[in-house]
Order: sequence, then C-alpha cells, then structure tokens
Amino acid sequence: MINLESTEKADLPISSGLLAVVMPACNEAAVIGQVLALIPANIEGMSVFSIVVDDGSADATGEIARRHGAVVIRHIVNLGAGAATITGLKAARALEADVIVTMDSDGQHNPAEIEPLVRCLNEGHFDVVIGSRILEPAGMPLTRIAANLLLNALTYLVYGKIVSDSQSGFKVFTSSAVERLELESAGYEICSEIVGEIYRKNLCYKSVPVKPVYTDYSRAKGQHFLNGVNLILGLLMRLMRRT
Amino acid sequence: MFVFISQIFSVLLAVIAISKSYVDFRSRLESLQMFVFWTATWIAIVVVAVFPALIDILINAFGGGRAGLGTFFGMAIVFVFFVMYRMYVKLERIEQKLMKTVQEIALREGLSHRNQAERVENIPDSIHRR
Repeated sequence: MINLESTEKADLPISSGLLAVVMPACNEAAVIGQVLALIPANIEGMSVFSIVVDDGSADATGEIARRHGAVVIRHIVNLGAGAATITGLKAARALEADVIVTMDSDGQHNPAEIEPLVRCLNEGHFDVVIGSRILEPAGMPLTRIAANLLLNALTYLVYGKIVSDSQSGFKVFTSSAVERLELESAGYEICSEIVGEIYRKNLCYKSVPVKPVYTDYSRAKGQHFLNGVNLILGLLMRLMRRT
Repeated sequence: MFVFISQIFSVLLAVIAISKSYVDFRSRLESLQMFVFWTATWIAIVVVAVFPALIDILINAFGGGRAGLGTFFGMAIVFVFFVMYRMYVKLERIEQKLMKTVQEIALREGLSHRNQAERVENIPDSIHRR
C-alpha cells in the first residue's frame, strides 16, 4: 500500500545545535507573550530561540515579542502570512538554525507539541514533519474539517501531492530542507505551496497528529470565509499559470 | 426605460472617473497625457451610451453590417478581458517586487549589526560557542 503520510530517508540524525521557532504575527499583542512563554528553552538537546515576524502590526506585537526574548523581524507593511513565513525561514537560516519550526502566533498550536514533532524529525531522519489536525480530528469543527478536505483536493489539483492537512502551519524542517524550498506565496496559499515543494524537491516527510487549541480568540483570528475564498482564488490562479 | 437608466449610469460613472482623474492630475499623481486619455475615453463612452445608433453607423462604416451588435460587443468583451489579464499580470509582478523589497528591508534591519546587541541577548548562549 502506498503510504500518503510519509516517505523515508536514511541520514544521520540531528543531535545538537539550534532550533528556531518561526511565528508570523499580525496584531497578536493579546496572546503573543503567552505563546512565547510556553516555548521550551531546550528541545532534543537543541537550544531554542523564537523569531517573530511582525507583519505590519498596528499594535504592540513586536514590542511584546521582543520583551519575551524573541528575535523580531518587522515588515513595514502587511504582506500576508505567506510572506511573513518566508521572511522568518530566511531569518532562521541567517541565524544558523539547524532545525526550523513554523507555528501560528494566535495560540492555535500548542508549543508543548513542538518536542514530539522534532523528535519525529530526528528519529525518522525526515526533511519535514507536518503537524496534522486531520489525523486525529476529535474536537475540530466539522466546517473546518470539510474546508480542509476541499483545500487538500485543490492542493492535489494544483501541485499533484496529497497530504492529510495541507493547510497546517505547524511544521518542522531541517535547515537544508528550507534551503531547497523555492517559495513565493504572500498569502495563506503558502501552506499548499510548501506541500508542492516537498513533492517537487522529493523531500522526505511525515505527518504527525497534533491537537489544535480552539479558543474564542484563535477561532476569531483563524481563517475567515473571505480568506478561504482568496486562498482558493490564489490556488486557481496558480493552476491557470501552470496550464 | 432600461436604456435611459443605463445612460444615466454611464454619465454618472464618467463624471466620477473624470473628476477622480482631474484630482489626481492636480495632485501630480497623474500626467497630463493620462488625464487627457481617460477624459477622452469616458466622453466617448458617454457619447455611445447616449447615442447608441452611432454603433450601427460605425459597424456599417467598417463594412460589418451583417455582423451586427453581437460581434461588436463580443469583441469589446474580449478586449476588456485582455486588459484585465494584463492588469492581473502587472499587479502580480508589482506584488512580488513589493514583497521582496519589504522582506529585504526587514531582514537587513532585523539582523543588522545595529541590532546585534539585542540579537545576542535574545539568542541562547549555545550560538556563541559555534
């Protein structure tokens, strides 16, 4: 049977070094401090530091992040979650991180789950580990499950690769995998583009279940209907450009 | 009645477009050539909307009597779609350039030597041992 959730590779595991947690953030002053405070200082023998990409926030997101010890990179205008993620990945590489984690800054991703994802990357010798909300969807609203499945199908149509949660922003990469990614999406379609790049660059990956934290705040800050429409339009435009 | 409403609508849109173009020209956001071009274009649209018979005369003058209004509007729609496509491509290019510029500035400032002290403070000790 073909395993859609992982591919394999035999390489040496990463046993020490630096781990960067990249968080794109726009107007997250209310929660960014709490999220940063929960990120462990040490994971799998690696020292952890956070990079917050302040994507043109109008509030004190950057300032609060800096106070909590994060390296803050600020976009002077709002570009979108995709552009902020790309900036964060570039910063992490410039700061010589060995392993790079991307996660949302609105508290939807539990920082305690970084460790199992990184362990999976190390032990399985993968290039990328994707935190999947769909593998154990208990507690996830049905509308979100349906929307995710639709976007999985669209991602497959555009990039020819299917994974269980193509829209997950919770991922772990080796530094060399990030170096190989050629990303250009400014908006939420970045998640699908990363899936496409995993396929195009033949990177080894595994999807691991994660439990999203749905609070009123994260629900309100999450993807809205109009964002979803923009995402679908963005993916369709890419499909048109490819044909 | 429908023709009258569409005529009023066209005149209204033309007045808005021309006044916006004039304000931009006065504020030096638009060149004289662009202002003249858009004014002439909108006047032509209003003339055609108010005197639709002009289209028949135009079609006959170009020897397309049998083709009729359908062909004329078909061509107009194709032209409008072509303009939309060109605008989409240009917009995408500008968006990509803007993105790259903002990212470069952000990375340069965020990782510059000016912020080196702060960076050293924020990154764990292990980086200094490397």
